[in-house]
Formats: sequence, C-alpha cells, structure tokens
Amino acid sequence: MPRTQPNRITLTIDGREIEADEGTMLVDAAREGDVEIPVFCYEPKLGEPVGACRMCLVEIEGIPKLQTSCSTPVRDGMVVHTRTDQVKEAQESVVEFLLVNHPLDCPVCDKGGECPLQDISMGWGPDRNRMVDQKRHFEKPVPLSPLVAIDRERCILCYRCVRFSQEVSEDEQLQLLERGDATFVGTFDDRPYIAPFQGNITELCPVGALTSYTYRFRARPWDIEQGGSVCTLCPSQCNVSFTVRDEQVARVLARDNPEVDDGWLCDKGRYAFQAMYADDRVLGPEVTSDGHSTPASWQEAEETAAEGLASAGSRTAILVGDASNEEGYLLQRILRQALGSGDIDSRRGPGVDGDAALKLADPAISAQTSDIDTADLVIVVGTDPIQSAPSFDLRVRKAVRRNGTALAVASDRPGALEGGATEVVRFPPGGAPAFLEELAGKVKRGRAKTGLAGLIADSEQTVIVWGERIVQGAGGRAAVEALVELSEAAGLADQEGSGLIGIPDNANGRGLREVGCLPDAGPGLSPTGPGRDAGAIREGLESGELEAVVLFGVDPIRDLPDPEGWRRALEAAGHVVAFSLARNESTEFADVLLPLESHAEKDGTVTHPDGRIQRVRPSARRPGEVRPVWQVLTELAAMLGSSTGITSTPEALEAVASAVPFYAGLTDSEIGGRGVRWQERPAAKDLGTPSPDLTLYATAPGPFSPLGSGAAGLEADEASVLEPASGVGRSHTDSSGGTTPPSSVSDLPTPKDGQLLLGTYPNLWADQVVESSPALRFLVPAQRLEISGPDATRLGLSTGDEVSVRSGEESVNARVAVRAAMPEGACFLIEGTPADNGNRVAGEDGGPTLVEIGPPEVRLELVTSGGGPEGDEAA
Amino acid sequence: MSVRPEEITVVPRGPEPGGKGGAYRAFGETLRGLRTTMSQMFTKPVTIQYPEEKTPVYPRFRGRHRLHRFEDTGLEKCVGCSLCAAACPAQCIRVVAAENDPENRVSAGERYAAVYEINLARCIFCGYCELACPFDAITMGHDYEMADYNRSDLIFTKEMLLAEPIERAPLRREGE
Ligand code: SF4
Ligand code: SF4
Ligand code: FES
Repeated sequence: MPRTQPNRITLTIDGREIEADEGTMLVDAAREGDVEIPVFCYEPKLGEPVGACRMCLVEIEGIPKLQTSCSTPVRDGMVVHTRTDQVKEAQESVVEFLLVNHPLDCPVCDKGGECPLQDISMGWGPDRNRMVDQKRHFEKPVPLSPLVAIDRERCILCYRCVRFSQEVSEDEQLQLLERGDATFVGTFDDRPYIAPFQGNITELCPVGALTSYTYRFRARPWDIEQGGSVCTLCPSQCNVSFTVRDEQVARVLARDNPEVDDGWLCDKGRYAFQAMYADDRVLGPEVTSDGHSTPASWQEAEETAAEGLASAGSRTAILVGDASNEEGYLLQRILRQALGSGDIDSRRGPGVDGDAALKLADPAISAQTSDIDTADLVIVVGTDPIQSAPSFDLRVRKAVRRNGTALAVASDRPGALEGGATEVVRFPPGGAPAFLEELAGKVKRGRAKTGLAGLIADSEQTVIVWGERIVQGAGGRAAVEALVELSEAAGLADQEGSGLIGIPDNANGRGLREVGCLPDAGPGLSPTGPGRDAGAIREGLESGELEAVVLFGVDPIRDLPDPEGWRRALEAAGHVVAFSLARNESTEFADVLLPLESHAEKDGTVTHPDGRIQRVRPSARRPGEVRPVWQVLTELAAMLGSSTGITSTPEALEAVASAVPFYAGLTDSEIGGRGVRWQERPAAKDLGTPSPDLTLYATAPGPFSPLGSGAAGLEADEASVLEPASGVGRSHTDSSGGTTPPSSVSDLPTPKDGQLLLGTYPNLWADQVVESSPALRFLVPAQRLEISGPDATRLGLSTGDEVSVRSGEESVNARVAVRAAMPEGACFLIEGTPADNGNRVAGEDGGPTLVEIGPPEVRLELVTSGGGPEGDEAA
Repeated sequence: MSVRPEEITVVPRGPEPGGKGGAYRAFGETLRGLRTTMSQMFTKPVTIQYPEEKTPVYPRFRGRHRLHRFEDTGLEKCVGCSLCAAACPAQCIRVVAAENDPENRVSAGERYAAVYEINLARCIFCGYCELACPFDAITMGHDYEMADYNRSDLIFTKEMLLAEPIERAPLRREGE
C-alpha cells in the first residue's frame, strides 16, 4: 500500500480556522491549531483509538450528543466547541469519576509532577471530590515483574498497558482481570510479566500505577534534566532521552522518532544504563608493567600506547566493536596513515566486505525503516529481530497487524516473528546463500504463483530485512550476489518504498563500514589494499606476524568465534591497547587500558542500518578520569606523527564528512535530533567515488605479502588504491583473494552419524552490559542447546537435560531445549554467554560447524561475585 | 486643543520659602522635634544587650526550619516528596528519596527522604516550603542564630533538622 498524500481540509475549533489532513483525529487537528483537548486513553502509538475514557468529549455542531474527539476523524467544514458549559460539565464528571477510586497519594507517588492525571485534574477537573465512601483497596505496591511495580489502587483502567502487551509487543500477558470496580491489571495466575519490551508500559501509564524499580523515588521532574541521545546497545539505535540527576543517568525514556523506533524501547536500552555506574567500569587509564596493571596519567598511558604501536608499525591491527563514526574513522586513519597497516575489522566474520557493502548501499535498493509500515510484503531473512535489533520486531508486527502486510520469515533458527508470518522458510545453518540464490532465480523466472516467490510477484512494495549473518562464512559472497539479484528481480529499485535493510552485528556496524573500518575498504567504502579480517588478525597475532593490536570496544575472547584462539593471540601479542567501557577478559591482556565513554557521555554520530546518520549526545558527566575518546585518538595520532588537526567534535564530524564522499557536507545541525538519511542527501550520488583521504594513507601490505618489509608492499598496492572507481557495482580489486574465501553454496558441511550442524545466534541478553546492570541480571541467559524433536528422540534427549556440545577440542555444556519448527539435523547455541560461550564451538569464521552431543563435562565453576564473566574453564 | 476649566486641577502650594515667617516656622518645627527627643530620654531604652539578651520573636516568626516526627510512632513525617524543593524560590532544598523497608520504616508512607538538606546560606526564609509540605513535616522554627565560620556548615542535614533544637529565641509575650 503506497503512502498517499492526504487532502487538506479546513474546520473550525473554538472559533479558530484550522487546517488539517483529512482523516486525522479531531484531537490531533486541534493540537495543530493550538487548542488542547485532554485525553487519557488516546495514544496513536498503540494503534486505533478505543474511546474508552471519555475524557476528550467535545461538542460538534449538528450532532446532538458530545463526541469523543480522539476517535472522530475531522471533516471539511466541521464546527467544534471544546469550551461550552456542556463540555465542561462532561469533563468535570469524567475527572470526578476517575478520582472516585484513585487514592490521591500524590506526595508519595512516583509519577507526581509528571502525571497526566494530575495535570488534567488541575486543568479540567472539578476542584473538589464528593466521594465520601470507602475507596477500593488492593495490596500495593506489588511486583508485576522484576522490573515493574504495580499499584492497582492508582490505576484508572485506561487500558494502555494492556493494549501495549496485546497489540504492540504481542506478548499478550497483561490482562484486565475481574469486572466492574474490582477490575485490575495483571497476568494470568499472577505470573511475573517477563517480556523484552515491558519497560514501555511504565512510560505509557498515565498515572503512577506502573513504576520502574530502577527509578522509583529516585527523583522528581524538577530535580532532573532530560538529554536526548541515541541508544547504541544494538543496531536499532533507538532514540532515547536520558533523565539525569546529579549528573548521572537515572532513567532512560523513549524519544519518539517515527523513522527509527516508533517511540518504543526494549528493556536492554531502558535498563542497561546501570552498567554505566557498575563496578567493572574502567574509570581511568591504566598501564601494565611487570604483570601489574596500575592507574596511570593520560599522558603516560598515551605515550606508552603510542610507543608500542610505533615500534610495531605496520604490524599493528585494530579490532573495532562499539564505536561512533568519528572514533571508527580516527582509528582507521591512525592505522592506515600513521602505522601503514590495513589490518582493521569491525565484523564478526568475513561478511559484508567493501565491495559487497558498496553494492548493498545503493540508495535505489535501500529501504528506510518506516517503509516497513507501508509495505505489502516484508521478508525477514536470516535474523531474529527480537535478538538482533528489537525495535524492528515491533515495527514488523505493527505492519502486519495494522496494515495487513504479508510477512515472510526465512531463517535457520525459528524466530519470534514466525507466529504472524504468511510464509515461513527454514534452511539449515549456513543455508541462506542457497536459499537466496534459489529465490532470486525463481523470482527472475517470474513463473511462481505460490510460495515466497509468488508473494514477491504479487507485491508492489517489498522490504527485505536481512541479517549480516547470512553473508558470513562460506557462501557469503554468493549471498550478497543473490541479495542484489533478488532485489533486481523483485524490482525493488523502481518501486518507491521498497528495498533492503541490512541488520549488522554491531550497533554501529553500518557506520563503521562506511567510515573505513573494513580490511579492504577505507572511508566511503573505497577499496584499499586488502588487510586482515578479524580471523586473520587472530592468526597473525598468534603466529607473531602481527605485533600489536588495538581492541576498541570489543571483547574478542567473548564476542568473536574461537575464544581460545583469541586468548592465545592476545597472550602472544607484543602490545595490546584496549579501549573498553568495562573490564573483561580481554582487557586483562592489555598493556595499556583506556576507558571509553558510554552512550550517555559520548559526542559523535552513528549510522542506522537504513543509512540514517544520528547524533549521540552527551548528557551525563563522564565518571572518573574518562575523557572524550575522539580527543584521545587525535592525541594518539599526533604522537604517532600524523596530526589530524581535529580539535573539536564538529571538526571530527567534518573530517568524517570530507573523507566519506557520500557523507559530504554533513553537519551537526543538519543531523539534528531526528537524524538524516544520507541516501536522501545530494551527496548520495557520490557513492562509489574514492575517498579523498586515500591519498593520505600508506596502504598496508596484504596479509600474505612478506611482512616487515613495509615499504615494498606499499608501492605495489599504491596503484590499486588510486585507481578511480567506476561507480556502484564495479568489481573490487581483490575481492576474492586473500581474506574472503571463494564461495560456493554447496560446501556446507554434511553431518555424519550422531553429528549435528551447529549454528550460533546472538542473544540480546548475552552481553556484559546486561550482567553489569543489577536490574537486568535475571535475564542473563544460561547456555541452551536448541534441537528439533526428531533429533532429540534420536539422541535420547529431552528438554532440560544437561549435555556437552563438542566440536574438535572444544566443548561447552548446555541445557537441552527441544523446539518445534527446528530444522532437522541442526542445533543452536547462544553466542557470548557468560559461561559456556557458544563461540567456543562455533565455526572458525562464525559460520556453521559440526558438533557432537555428549554427556555434560564436569567443570569446576569459578564462583565470582555477580557481574563479571564467570570462569568457565574446564577443570 | 483648548483646556476646559473643569479639567484644571489647582494644586495648593505652601508659603514661599525664605523671609521672616520661614525662619519662625523652622524654629517651631525644631522645637516640636526636640519635644519627642526629650520625652524619649526618660523612657526605658529598647536596645537589647545581645547576645546576653535575645530579641523575643513572634509565634509566626520564620526562623530556621525544623523537621518533625509523629509523636506517637516516632516516624518521620517527611515522605521525601520534594514538593518543598519545588516550591523553594532559592533552590536551597535537596531531597533524595528512597523506598521504605516495611520491616524498618523511616516514614509512614511508601517513600522517605534518604537525604534532606537545606542550604541555609541560600535560604531566604520565605516559608514556601512549609506551605508546600502536604504533611506538615517541615515548619519554620524560631531560631535565628545561624552564623557560622564555614559555608558548608550552613548546609543542614536531615538529622540536624530533626533534632530538638536548643530553643534560644524567646517568644514574644501576648500583646508585646
Ligand atoms: S496500570 Fe496504568 S496504563 Fe495500565 S490500565 Fe491502569 S492506569 Fe492504565
Ligand atoms: S518536607 Fe514535606 S514537602 Fe518537603 S519532602 Fe518532606 S513531605 Fe515533601
Ligand atoms: S481519549 Fe478519547 S475516549 Fe479516551
């Protein structure tokens, strides 16, 4: 259903001429014309108005009875009165009725001061209450969930929380129970309300009935300041507003941006702010000497870091995880310009390389997030948004529920969205490329009437949401080709509102790619000589070919495949500089440990998966000795002999904008509070033009050229660097050589007897920030092995059994979870769990691998007090 | 535009200054003033030998604040609602609330003031906090002797405000 341009009509409200779009609700039209009509139950984010509270009654000429303005669409020539005696009387009675059972305990209520009920009672209510009888009583406050407390006496039964649970997050756990004045909000059997988006109900509740345990009684609205920023805990990059008291974040609220998050936040984004003040946070620079890490001055730490990096020179590699565009840009610039190396990676495995990223970034085949709302067909391939980018989950559900969008889910692991899908396709782990190739072929031939291909043929607007995982490992290149082919065959380029949205693994995965944190592409995805990818960096460090490594916002021992290998690699590395928010296993190996800023302290930009460049803005004080990281990086660059000339954050953005041709001319004010998609700016046509920055960089020798001979490799590569590109879709200078394995779809490992094909998936809660946030600790997942029913029967397993999953030398323990709809012969583990990390048995490059299931290994668990990664070494 | 006679207001003026009449008048006025002075010379002096003697204050005098407890239960009346802080025009009140532990209550409500501080160096003694408080937990006391050597000593904490103050200022008697 294409977006339509509504007609403008004129109506009169309280004697004012107001122009509005036809079909908008009267309240909204009135607000546009500066007339305020009080509402309780109306919340457009929740979908169709329900007209439950009657607070919004108005008089419309020609209609004898008062009408609810929240559910009356405007018509041309309507004459509306909101202040007549009749309306006033109605409003007063509604407020009086609402207050009949309300305890009026505002001084002890947490909502006091920011409470719509208070505001409306003051503004529109009668000034006294005639109620003299007993009010209803409930036990209060009781936990509705470990995160939310409910005070049922205060509830005005507006339905908002229930509607959220039923119609937005569709977890369907909240219900109104009982009848009449005994009605209350609760869950079946009083079970705790556990769902990934539950925090939103505390923001929806117009009274103090639902309050967050993390914010209860922490502050009043006049004690706080709100600071807008962007949550960078996952790729959805929801817009948030930090509530800051005493210069510390006390709460995270959603900041409505219909183009990004629709005004919702997941609980990780809402509650993981606690990690900013956790004990494991790195608060100042530290330098390790004689095996002891001691606090150091910034000067000393930077000098030690620079010395080590300078002596390693081109034998330095950088791994980037959580970083802003500016930080990513500066990192790759230090590496390429000052150290003459090209070994930088920001991905988990050899997934989207420079060439692929360039193809997929073509504005013609890119969709924007809100296109999902209006699409005829949404295809989700190889990702489960609830785990990888939760706000996309809500977005897709909304499209299906409200717009009747057809949904197709194609994945290896059964995901949360499948319940509402018209079409579900299951492939084995690593089978995405084959699936995409087949689908692209079918669509191209155009004969399919049924199945997914048929759906694509029937739909005008198609949005394909794909996860970076599908282009990883063997077959990755084929998957990219197939995606591009599919989008061509489906005509995504010609159809407004159609296109691809790729969900990267990293929160700012897209931004980091575009500013040059790829081994084979510099800023603006311009090809550079091939460098090592993450896996090759690990091997290089282990074999001694690489000397130094910079870890930036990444804990490779936890986040990347082959943790054991990474342990060996960091052990072997001569010089490790770790930038990290918190202490973790990898930072133990650091020679220099430097603190990072959290997303409430940082000033910079990030790029949303759909290309929207957004600003992360500082609102809280940096704790301890923490300093702006861009500053630290420019100082490091200067010490290494390549001064950047950057002295402020706007200059840092300017440097990024001039290095990335399609970001050209970007400024803070243009990005503003809502962000701007680069595809919509005139500079987008420069996609594919080589970055002017390339002339600055001494290109690194490729991974297989002799090392230590720096300059020799340099000359050979110079030509390829300066070679002018011919536009989008050109072939890459060295795309199949070196790091990216040539791919063919058929070389998936075939399981032998007793073996299963293992896939791993990221779990939203398997993250250090979750463990460091006391409120969220109950969500930290224990490792579980998901297998299909037939496989379980064959192996004699049932849900809850403890087993070990072995691949080669490595094994992890897990609890069996038999799941329906699982592909047979496959099994799944979670990546990055604190204990029994699935990465240990994952394939080399993060792809699928064969595993054997056996009895659980006996382990001595190292008992650590809370938080940090639990010891999971084999005894 | 001409002025109508009824619009004219005549301002009466005194006699011109200077001349003999003026001198007599000035002398007469001086005598009148002296009479007041003389009569005061024989009354009791109003000066008080502060600090040995204190000025008595009216019952509604707004001096240093006090926080109160319930007499029967001993619980603090303050629930940490921060309304006083909101009302304070000098922004000298800081309240940090916390949740009551039902086993070990501090106040009667769900919440209590974990931190309650008034910076008396900034307080303008307007009494708005007293007016704002829904629980009569804070009132303005009668103590006005608050000079100190350190600014930081002028930040009164909850314990100091709750403590029974040494009543130094006498109350003015009825009709005084
Ligand atoms: S708990 Fe809050 S949001 Fe839910 S029905 Fe009651 S008042 Fe509405
Ligand atoms: S003194 Fe009164 S107004 Fe101030 S926080 Fe306590 S209860 Fe609220
Ligand atoms: S806001 Fe219109 S009926 Fe509730």
